[in-house]
Amino acid sequence: MKRKFDHSAPAQRELTGPKYWRSLDELADTPGFREHLAREFPEGASSMEGVDRRQFMKLMAASFALGGLGLAGCRRPEAHILPYGKSVEYTVPGLPLYFATAMPLRKSAIPLLAETHQGRPTKLEGNPSYRPHGGASSLLAQASVLDLYDPERATAHTKKSDTLSATQVNDLLANINKTYAGSGEGLAFLADESASPTRARLVAKLKAQFPKAIWAEYEPVQDEPPVAAAQAAFGRNVKPLYRFAQARRILSLDADFFHAESGALYYSREFAKGRRVTSAADADKMNRLYVAESGFSLTGSMADHRLRVASNHILALTAAIGGQVLETNLLATLAKGLEVNAQWVEQCAKDLLAHRGESLVVAGAHQPVAVHVIAYAMNAKLGNLGKTIDFVEVAPSGASTITALATALKAGSVKTLLVLNGNPAYNAPADLDFGALLKSVPDVIRFGYYNDETSALAGTHLAATHYLESWGDARTVDGTIVPVQPMIMPLFHGLMEVELLARLAGEDKPEAYEQVFATRGGDKKAFEKFLHDGLVEGSAYQTVRVAFDVQRAGAAYAKTPAFVALSKENLEIRFTTDHKMDDGRFANNGWLQECPDPMTKISWDNAILVSPKLAAELGIVPAGSLLQVARKEAAEFYQGRENARVFEVTLNGRTISGPVHIQPGLSNYTIVLPLGYGRTASGHIGTGAGFSAYPLRLSDGLGFATGATLRDTGKRLQLANTQEHWSMEGRDIVREANLDEFKDNPKFVAGIGMESHTPPVLGKDAGKDPAFIATTTPRGNSLYETPNFDGIHQWGMSIDLNTCIGCNACVVACQAENNIPIVGKEQVMRGREMHWIRLDRYYSDGKADAEAFGAEGNKALPEDPQVSMQPMTCQHCELAPCETVCPVNATVHDEEGINVMAYNRCIGTRYCANNCPYKVRRFNFFDYNKRATDALYMGPLGHQSEMPELVKMVKNPDVTVRMRGVMEKCTYCVQRVQQAKIAQKRKAGATGDVVIPDLTIKTACQQVCPVEAIVFGNIKDENSAVSLAKKQERDYAVLGYLNVRPRTTYLGKLRNPNPAMPDYAALPLSRIEYNNKNHPAHGDDHGQGHEAKPGGHE
Amino acid sequence: MSKIFPKSANALPLQIIIFLGILGGVAAAGITYYATPAYLRVGYQPVQPVPFDHSLHAGQLGMDCRYCHTSVEKSGTSSVPAAQTCMNCHSLIKTTSPLLEVVRQSYTTGEPVPWVKIHQTPDYVYFNHSVHVNRGVSCVECHGKVNEMTVVSHDQPHSMSWCLDCHRNPAERLRDPKDVYNLDSQTLAAQGKLADAQKFVHDWKVKPPQSCSGCHR
Repeated sequence: MKRKFDHSAPAQRELTGPKYWRSLDELADTPGFREHLAREFPEGASSMEGVDRRQFMKLMAASFALGGLGLAGCRRPEAHILPYGKSVEYTVPGLPLYFATAMPLRKSAIPLLAETHQGRPTKLEGNPSYRPHGGASSLLAQASVLDLYDPERATAHTKKSDTLSATQVNDLLANINKTYAGSGEGLAFLADESASPTRARLVAKLKAQFPKAIWAEYEPVQDEPPVAAAQAAFGRNVKPLYRFAQARRILSLDADFFHAESGALYYSREFAKGRRVTSAADADKMNRLYVAESGFSLTGSMADHRLRVASNHILALTAAIGGQVLETNLLATLAKGLEVNAQWVEQCAKDLLAHRGESLVVAGAHQPVAVHVIAYAMNAKLGNLGKTIDFVEVAPSGASTITALATALKAGSVKTLLVLNGNPAYNAPADLDFGALLKSVPDVIRFGYYNDETSALAGTHLAATHYLESWGDARTVDGTIVPVQPMIMPLFHGLMEVELLARLAGEDKPEAYEQVFATRGGDKKAFEKFLHDGLVEGSAYQTVRVAFDVQRAGAAYAKTPAFVALSKENLEIRFTTDHKMDDGRFANNGWLQECPDPMTKISWDNAILVSPKLAAELGIVPAGSLLQVARKEAAEFYQGRENARVFEVTLNGRTISGPVHIQPGLSNYTIVLPLGYGRTASGHIGTGAGFSAYPLRLSDGLGFATGATLRDTGKRLQLANTQEHWSMEGRDIVREANLDEFKDNPKFVAGIGMESHTPPVLGKDAGKDPAFIATTTPRGNSLYETPNFDGIHQWGMSIDLNTCIGCNACVVACQAENNIPIVGKEQVMRGREMHWIRLDRYYSDGKADAEAFGAEGNKALPEDPQVSMQPMTCQHCELAPCETVCPVNATVHDEEGINVMAYNRCIGTRYCANNCPYKVRRFNFFDYNKRATDALYMGPLGHQSEMPELVKMVKNPDVTVRMRGVMEKCTYCVQRVQQAKIAQKRKAGATGDVVIPDLTIKTACQQVCPVEAIVFGNIKDENSAVSLAKKQERDYAVLGYLNVRPRTTYLGKLRNPNPAMPDYAALPLSRIEYNNKNHPAHGDDHGQGHEAKPGGHE
Repeated sequence: MSKIFPKSANALPLQIIIFLGILGGVAAAGITYYATPAYLRVGYQPVQPVPFDHSLHAGQLGMDCRYCHTSVEKSGTSSVPAAQTCMNCHSLIKTTSPLLEVVRQSYTTGEPVPWVKIHQTPDYVYFNHSVHVNRGVSCVECHGKVNEMTVVSHDQPHSMSWCLDCHRNPAERLRDPKDVYNLDSQTLAAQGKLADAQKFVHDWKVKPPQSCSGCHR
């Protein structure tokens, strides 16, 4: 018995229906329609005579609307399938298409593969064809896809308040070409730096056409060593390329090559190759890192020996080490004033000298020329040239500086100024007062992606395209030429930079595609290969042989900055490129704002970072509750919110104010000001986030400056800090050992933690391989039945803590892949950030001790700690505590070992998150996807009741978008797993070969990780990468004693300190704390570790 | 105490219980019958903007399903064809038929034909066609005899329990892979070849997922 619908009635409507597509008038004339109308409105029909056109239209519309409602789809809302009119090449509906492109950033680029769904890019991966990156990409590259779909990007070209059409813009540019033809007097450009060959070609054309025009390039942050240093040292225009993989001993002089230096992605990967230890046998190959820095960078966190030195004093330190390495005392005058343990300098130099040809000295890009020259000299003396450091010849850019441009602007000689990208009104050196200068130019044309601070001062704004919708090209750090090709037509009819330059140059074929094609030589086949591969093989910069020229180099030492003694009244400011905001360009990117800073763990804000010593002198060290172990800030973290004091920083008469965060590990009198925040015209996410440090930055102190003072304003500001508890408190969360201990006792992880002192958690199966344990080891007769792990694959993951650098790329990659929403600062302060993977950062100074309450060791903030990083995600426990407590069975385990979350079944009890020992489950307290982050509590009554159309486009269609009230967590990228299984089964056919080959599936976090710390795969396959990783002696499970049997295990961290150094500790500081806490009475067997024996220790 | 209730009230609790039991039973039965996909969905036969007749094209003319539903072997969706596919023939056949006006408009202007979606799974369910059709599950198992439908109707309930019925016992519903697109063929089990079907399941390692991760992501 089924309801039968009388769908047959409107036979005439079927005949007349389609025709109404053409015009209503036409339809009105057909007899069928007249009859229909007569049937619907008997009274109205008679009044149709003499009715005017408007009423007629209204009635028609109403009747058709009713008709639509009444006759079809009564049972449920009608959904539609909308196919293409004409098929699109290569598109298979439901499958993504991958295209090669690149993300340009200053003078380098990251080659990418963009995953596009139905013509729009949703996820970016590294291009595996580019071997130096090996398919990895960076935090910024992962987040850049969200910028494409930013509703607050510039959507129209404007002149004053009028909108310009494309033709008008083309005319405008052609006009400039005509007006300045021949001389270019009065024309000026201020562009960002770029390594694009097409742009270089077009700029050369522009310079030829407008010889008197000023072409200036400006980047607020300097990430490449100054050219003057190479000129002084080698007499050539070369830049260094470091080969970290070949280096055994590395000295970093304020160089953050994991993040801030150009080529950081390449360097991280290479460094990890030298750091990775797979067994005790090849342990000797592990490199050793010495870092001297003023802030606490990621590079510093990886250091085996770290020296806190103010950036201003780095020159003196370099001179001191240089004197030892070069065996000269010519540098002695430069080293004067340095207050550093002489033995540190001596032993470091000795270690470098003992490794000729496999050592490396790297100086931070922002350091003065003299530091670089001495570093080059050291490398030359150590025989590293051509081995661990290569030099490549780069064509001089020939661009003016912003200072030269400012002079011209002040002189009034510029009539038309084109600002291409960048944001000089926001980040130009403060002494130039660029904002005022912009106002003084009669015609300022700004080409930019956002309507930002510079656009506000410009008369004309040309909306730029995002790189994902542009044609262009770029060069990677080693010079390989990569394409930038659009994934989608410009969403808002923006202008491409290449086209802008081509039109200015009066090119015949100004379209960006034609220009890039012409740069490649105009060969169609070669160009197609270029676009397909994503790079040009063999186009890297040529390495050149250089020789250090002592005579010429001597000149560089003549103009060295003076050594400044620092104190509380004479502080040094270190301006750092922020990990997430970069120089401020990503301010409106919600993913980056919410991603916590890797070291401070603050999101949505920046802070003035001060050292604990300075904090003590300023009197702002919190007098917290003493019941809290190793958490001095308790009083300042009311209900988990960091209640930061607002201080004013004054430098050279300029003042800014911002919240102060006490950062362990800083040089005593250096305060760190991260750049890129405090935007005033950046969209609702970026505006007002943090404070801007740019007003303090002068042309002669772009990286660091001395002479600053701090003053307490008495105000407070709450910061969203995602991890205020920085101590492991003597627990074995991150298990570390020095390399020497590892060589003696490869299974040191087994001697640490509860499992070392309890009967073996897995009983007689301890030590068997994970696949055996999964299928055979008894589960303990719980009432809750877990499935038999009889799946064809058994998934597992291994995370190598030894190579993890803490860059946070995995956090944003996971967010991009899994449609994780942002929640806003308020919610992050309540601990509700939605990241499925988090980077835990622990400080250890060896002082935390057993007396948890009130012990002295637990009360002070560490001044010079060691840092341990640990990515923490759902561990996919085989005996998951979350599964047993779900009242509706929304979280279950599948046969292949993945702990699965069925969102539709979840009723939001949150008991699973309560029970999770790792606290990795995230709950959607609000409808974060649909509602604006500042109106969450208003719900549908708030100002945003739907996700903006544009933002919907970034969502990955293969993953559910979760609503309010649902729990979510890491799924081991189950969508990728299932897609791969389906693809394999499809291919397998009768062969029955349904096992997926190893490394076909890469989870999002694994794919993005530059150092390959995360490995995912089939633990049933004993030759898979993950099985080999788990077989290593350093393999352990966090909180393994709980017998939850996590499928994600970690590889213990190794440190490689030099026993001759004065700050040598026989054990990593976290181990000393562990021993303090757990073995306080053992006396003399500290640090010996225990042999792991089943049955506990003897 | 005075008597508030008459003696006949003694029977009331039992009556109430019986009444509630019957009410609950009727409600449960009613919901089970009327409010489940088997009733709600089966027979859904909406009016399509173009009166495409499968019995003519797939039945009489014998066109293979994959001629139009091209991505069914490769991807999760079995796509509804673009107007271009229709025009492959209809640029020569019935070129002026008013029934095809919408298709011709779509082909010229690029505006999609608004086909009404009949088989829908909720957004949190991810069904993949390719893994089914390549492993012996015919179109007819889930969509019914489309080659005999003048207007496509919803033939099977497509509820989760219905999917699991097959996932728990695939051997009964599989047919020879070369018969998958032959909607008049029979499953191996219906032909009395259940043992062959079970051998197929074994050799091809047909292990349909039964845990949530199979379809819910």
